[in-house]
Amino acid sequence: MKPEWSQWAQEAKKQFPEANSSLLPLLHRIQDAEGWLSDETIHDVASLLGLTPQYVESVASFYSLFYRQTVGKNVIHVCVGLSCALAGSDHVMEELEHKLGIREGQTTPDGEYTLLEAECLAACDLAPVVQRNLRFRGRVDATKLDALLTDDGKEVNS
Amino acid sequence: MIRLTIDDQEVSVPEGTTIVDAAAKLGIDVPIYCYHQSLGPLGACRMCLVQVEKMPKLATGCTTAVSEGMVVHTQGPEVEKGRKGVLEFLLINHPLDCPVCDKGGECYLQDYAFEYGPAKGRFQEPKIQKVKDGPINEFVLIDQERCVLCQRCVRFMSEYVGEEQLLLEGRGVETVVTTVEHEPATSQFTGNVIDLCPVGALLSAPYNHKGRPWNIDRQTTICPHCPVGCPSKMTTRESHIIRMEGRPVPDRDWGWLCDRGRFGYDFGYHPLRVLDSTVQGKSLSSAQAMRDTAQWMKETIREHGFGSIGVVMGGHFTAEEAYWIKKFAEEVVHTSEMATLRNVPGYLPISLNGTFEDIDQTDTVVFVGVDPYEAVPVVHLKLRDRIRHFPGLRVIGVGPRKLTSGTLPGIDYQVLGEDEAVVFAQALLLAKGDDPTVQMLGRNVADYPLPVDSETLKTLGETLLNATHLTMLWDGENPEMEQIFKALTILRQGRTAVLPSFGPVNWRGYEKAGIPVRYEDLRNLLMKARNGDIRMLVLWGADLLRDFPDRDLAREALEAVDYVVSAQIRPPLDLPYTDALLPVAAWGEVEGSYVNMEGRVAVAAAGVQPPAQSRPTKTYMVGWARLFQQTFGVEAEWDLFEDIEGDLIPRNADEEDMTPQPLKRPDPVEDPTQWRVIRGELVLENGIPSEILEPRISLFVGRIHPDEAQALHIPAEGGYVDVETSSGTITIGVRADESIPERTLWVPRSGHYEWIASLNGVKQLKRREEVKSL
Amino acid sequence: MSQQYYLLRNREVPNIDEMPVYLAHGGYQALRKALNDFKPEELVDMVKKSGLRGRGGAGFPTGMKWGFLPNDGRKRYLVVNSDEAEPGTFKDREIIEHNPHQLIEGIIISSYATKAREAFIYCRGEFLFGSEQLKRAVREAYEQGFLGENILGSGFSLDLEVYRGAGAYICGEESALLESLEGKRGNPRLKPPFPAVAGLYGGPTVINNVETIANVPVIVTKGADWYTSMGTAKSPGLKIFSVSGRVQRPGNYEIPLATPLRTLIEDYAGGMLPGRQLKAVIPGGSSVPLMTPDKLDTPLDYESILQAGSMLGSGGCIVLDDHVCIVGATARLVRFYREESCGKCTPCREGTYWMTDVLDRLEHGLGTPEDLDTLADVADNIGGKCFCPLGDASLGVLVSALKYFREEFEAHVAQHACPMGERLYDTINN
Ligand SMILES: Cc1cc2nc3c(=O)[nH]c(=O)nc-3n(C[C@H](O)[C@H](O)[C@H](O)COP(=O)(O)O)c2cc1C
Ligand code: SF4
Ligand code: FES
Repeated sequence: MKPEWSQWAQEAKKQFPEANSSLLPLLHRIQDAEGWLSDETIHDVASLLGLTPQYVESVASFYSLFYRQTVGKNVIHVCVGLSCALAGSDHVMEELEHKLGIREGQTTPDGEYTLLEAECLAACDLAPVVQRNLRFRGRVDATKLDALLTDDGKEVNS
Repeated sequence: MIRLTIDDQEVSVPEGTTIVDAAAKLGIDVPIYCYHQSLGPLGACRMCLVQVEKMPKLATGCTTAVSEGMVVHTQGPEVEKGRKGVLEFLLINHPLDCPVCDKGGECYLQDYAFEYGPAKGRFQEPKIQKVKDGPINEFVLIDQERCVLCQRCVRFMSEYVGEEQLLLEGRGVETVVTTVEHEPATSQFTGNVIDLCPVGALLSAPYNHKGRPWNIDRQTTICPHCPVGCPSKMTTRESHIIRMEGRPVPDRDWGWLCDRGRFGYDFGYHPLRVLDSTVQGKSLSSAQAMRDTAQWMKETIREHGFGSIGVVMGGHFTAEEAYWIKKFAEEVVHTSEMATLRNVPGYLPISLNGTFEDIDQTDTVVFVGVDPYEAVPVVHLKLRDRIRHFPGLRVIGVGPRKLTSGTLPGIDYQVLGEDEAVVFAQALLLAKGDDPTVQMLGRNVADYPLPVDSETLKTLGETLLNATHLTMLWDGENPEMEQIFKALTILRQGRTAVLPSFGPVNWRGYEKAGIPVRYEDLRNLLMKARNGDIRMLVLWGADLLRDFPDRDLAREALEAVDYVVSAQIRPPLDLPYTDALLPVAAWGEVEGSYVNMEGRVAVAAAGVQPPAQSRPTKTYMVGWARLFQQTFGVEAEWDLFEDIEGDLIPRNADEEDMTPQPLKRPDPVEDPTQWRVIRGELVLENGIPSEILEPRISLFVGRIHPDEAQALHIPAEGGYVDVETSSGTITIGVRADESIPERTLWVPRSGHYEWIASLNGVKQLKRREEVKSL
Repeated sequence: MSQQYYLLRNREVPNIDEMPVYLAHGGYQALRKALNDFKPEELVDMVKKSGLRGRGGAGFPTGMKWGFLPNDGRKRYLVVNSDEAEPGTFKDREIIEHNPHQLIEGIIISSYATKAREAFIYCRGEFLFGSEQLKRAVREAYEQGFLGENILGSGFSLDLEVYRGAGAYICGEESALLESLEGKRGNPRLKPPFPAVAGLYGGPTVINNVETIANVPVIVTKGADWYTSMGTAKSPGLKIFSVSGRVQRPGNYEIPLATPLRTLIEDYAGGMLPGRQLKAVIPGGSSVPLMTPDKLDTPLDYESILQAGSMLGSGGCIVLDDHVCIVGATARLVRFYREESCGKCTPCREGTYWMTDVLDRLEHGLGTPEDLDTLADVADNIGGKCFCPLGDASLGVLVSALKYFREEFEAHVAQHACPMGERLYDTINN
């Protein structure tokens, strides 16, 4: 357990009338710092919030944005929703698989990138859409793919 | 009451009843998976679809509450189609491996598939692969592929038991039931999920592949391991007990068992089981052993007269067996020196004895010295049930350690065991000091120093007096409590009920059969033995050195008498003093009655034969009588039910003295800095060794305060310490426990380890570095 | 097309997401007006009179919903549903990212009206930027005294917290949302009790969509009569339609209800891509039945669309042209529901799994003629039998596709292949 976590837990608890509500915020915060949620983290979070590890694991495993396995420094989500598919997202996925040398669901051996599918990201006006660490990249085409992997990571909103 | 019509039949049910339960009242079976009355509606499986007139869609019978004038159809083409559809969905990812499944033949999925299932599978896609035969713990296996995600098990553990040990992991069609990171579930109640699982997903590990529905028998019985006496079913195959299951009793019991009760059924086959008759070191035929022992009896009577034989009953014999013993003692060997083996001194008059109905109604429950989770586990569950329906339940613990818990939270008054009654007396004095009964009660103890401030005590007194329905659980450790109970019954308006958690499990049955059961009876008997007035001891399932707290007296008595005859199912600690060890039939091997802590009688069937030379009690008594040229017996059968109302022992207050007496003042503690030993129940330790339970039994049964454990460098899972006692040093396993006060060593009241019996005058605990095994 | 914006004001005022800009353009005036001139009950009446209906999908009258809160003195909560995840819908995201103060202003007014002392915005986990914008805007609102104790001296106090989900469509369903907000798995709850009676932490709770709440300041400023002057009697006012798919100008369009579907697609969204013909429209997010080109003149209001065989839903309008494979598109959408089924109830969990597999097989030319009947029957066994509406939502497109485009399914079977080449669209290099 990192020393700052208990302070984070306190802060999260203060935001809500009931302590359990602080679970998702705390998991987010720790995952942001650590990249993923290890078994140990699950136990730590449980003890910080007075919950059982069973409870925390059950909740964490329900949500697709909580990673229970290690992920790369950059998590690339390719939207495979219908609107993005209509704009060629399958091809975007293939291109990325090719460029990164991995399949969907995998992480590059250097630990830089993880490539994942995302369900409709509610940005169909920008289809096809990709998120890098949850920052949107819209109207992705072949020329944007390289930049997408390496730019400063700021959101590009149109 | 709400009136409605189901399948053209009218029925009246209380408001809030679900359609499924209302239909059940009419004997109409609506198929269910996820719904279980004890857990309340969930609405997940959708199997219980019914048609309710004026509703646009089919409704789930388990989540829809009845309403006045409702018209329900549980049959019809639409309903049938709906259920058929749901069933088909449940089967698409199901492995359909019924031929190798333990649940085969007793499975809801199979039953309903037979009733609603499609003739031919339309599903051609690959099934999702999940874990098969994964362990939940030592006793329970899970086959995730067979799971229909009804959540009964998960909800039972987390909502009902309050121990969140099973969880749903993942989402959607990938969801599975599992334990966290595959750590074993440690709750005392895990086995219930096997009964709860409507399909073959949760299985008993010891029963796995041991029986099929057509080659087993099921007998109605009760669990013999603690005074709750849970209704259960015993599965036998070829005269072997191979399984225990809960047996729900409508409106009274959900059929829960603790893991001790469910899995500890193999004690009869334990390698330690006494199988032969041993007389003075020699193995003899039972006929010869009976002749020899009868000879001793004759000799004793001849030389020392009537009354020179003392009989002590322990074990878990039936009331009828107690009756045979009493009859034999009085009519054949002419002695009235009988007693019951008691490990605590308390006694409870039957008129104060509550029932489990009191738990269903109580608003205030007090644990006097007893931790129900360990001592009477299913009572703990009954209290969990109560607190779920009545969250305002007040829970109070009074005893030498913390007795309330995370799952039954409350207030604890931690005092020495001998001061328990004083706590109540002073609390009553502070709350109602002008009452003559209270004054009389507290006369000797009003100024006795207690480590509890008077404000807190006063609150306790007020709570005790004002509770509408007071239920007390009592371990019998402090006999003065009897006066408190009597006084409370007089002082209070509402009902006061006491549930005794002490043993032996069938002591009320023994009492009803005419065997004296008070501690003093046994004490007097042993003193007579020590003093030479009693010259022969017949110990029926009683192991004095293991269970009688005054070990010195027990030893002196055993040494003083000429003969000790001991009928047992496992070798007693008394063995060195035993002249004849006789193998006797155990629970499950004889039919008979048991009276539980409610004073409720239940009959347990005989499912199997006594093994090897072991004989039922009655065989011994009748056989010995014959050797005395007497022929009592067969005509003199006794029916316990004949003189009781229903199945409860009558609460005959007129025959008992219900006047409370002033409390005796406890002796002051000599040196408060000295280590103290306190005792309590440990469910897995409780009773007779079981090989199935063994992997779960901790070597570290002793408990000490966490600070002390830390000072001794005891690791979290436990470690060994050397205990210096007045009679030498013993090495024992201990671990930290927050509920134990400082300078206190908690040990099980009795158990598998002999040292438990010999812990006298503890002086010091020392860390022991290296212990391979004990 | 020049137009006046009431909800998407960011379209005409740059940087309106910043407090000074929002204030300079009349921001928080509606709040002042509401607090100064109206009692809470009067505001509830005003919203009732405006006829505003929930924009989250179900179209339930908002004022009426507010009126359901029992008057029993328990602490009330207001929760804003910003979990927008219905495929084809992206209107709430634009509001929270680019016009968050209007939402916050709406929340404060709505909380005052419903006497909630604590409010939450449940923001979809994937909306990282959106949640940052909301958090910043909330901070600014606290600094300005629009949130916190005794707002603008009115005696009314409100706390507002932004809560981020973590990836689960089902958490858009109101009761699953509450579970999630309470730190649990997002499984829907048994109803009744409805959130108005026992919602967040068991207290009376109002749950509204982002767009719904963003309408409230407009209604307070311009009045209920002005609002009802747009749309129809039963579907008055403004609505944002998100148009996506095979059109020239995908995007959000804020238009009066009852505007014809044709106008939305042909005028606002610029019509079809060059040389392409309209094949079908999914007008209200992926959960509603698709409509065929002959229905193009249907007015976009709740009743008319219902009559035309679909639903207005969330207003997420996905446009398919003649090069789109209906089987592939349907498979894609049904797969979404399989991925997002919470797993609690059998028909949704297993049925979406089954349907997805059959559809995938069909799309790859591995289907059989019986598969079409099986699909229809499986859909029938799901329909109306699930715990929550998600199961039914998975059927809208499938059932209508089987009805209107059965021959296309049959062609997949007959040709043992997708007649369109198994690729929905390929634009990456064109
Ligand atoms: C599966 C499912 C997903 C939903 N997703 C959303 C959503 O993302 N956003 C939303 O506002 N409402 C969503 N809803 C509708 C909500 O349950 C609820 O009706 C709505 O938030 C109420 O707000 P309104 O009355 O302002 O529309 C969803 C409903 C279902 C059944
Ligand atoms: S329909 Fe059933 S499985 Fe599907 S999301 Fe709702 S409750 Fe969960
Ligand atoms: S028993 Fe009714 S839904 Fe499961």
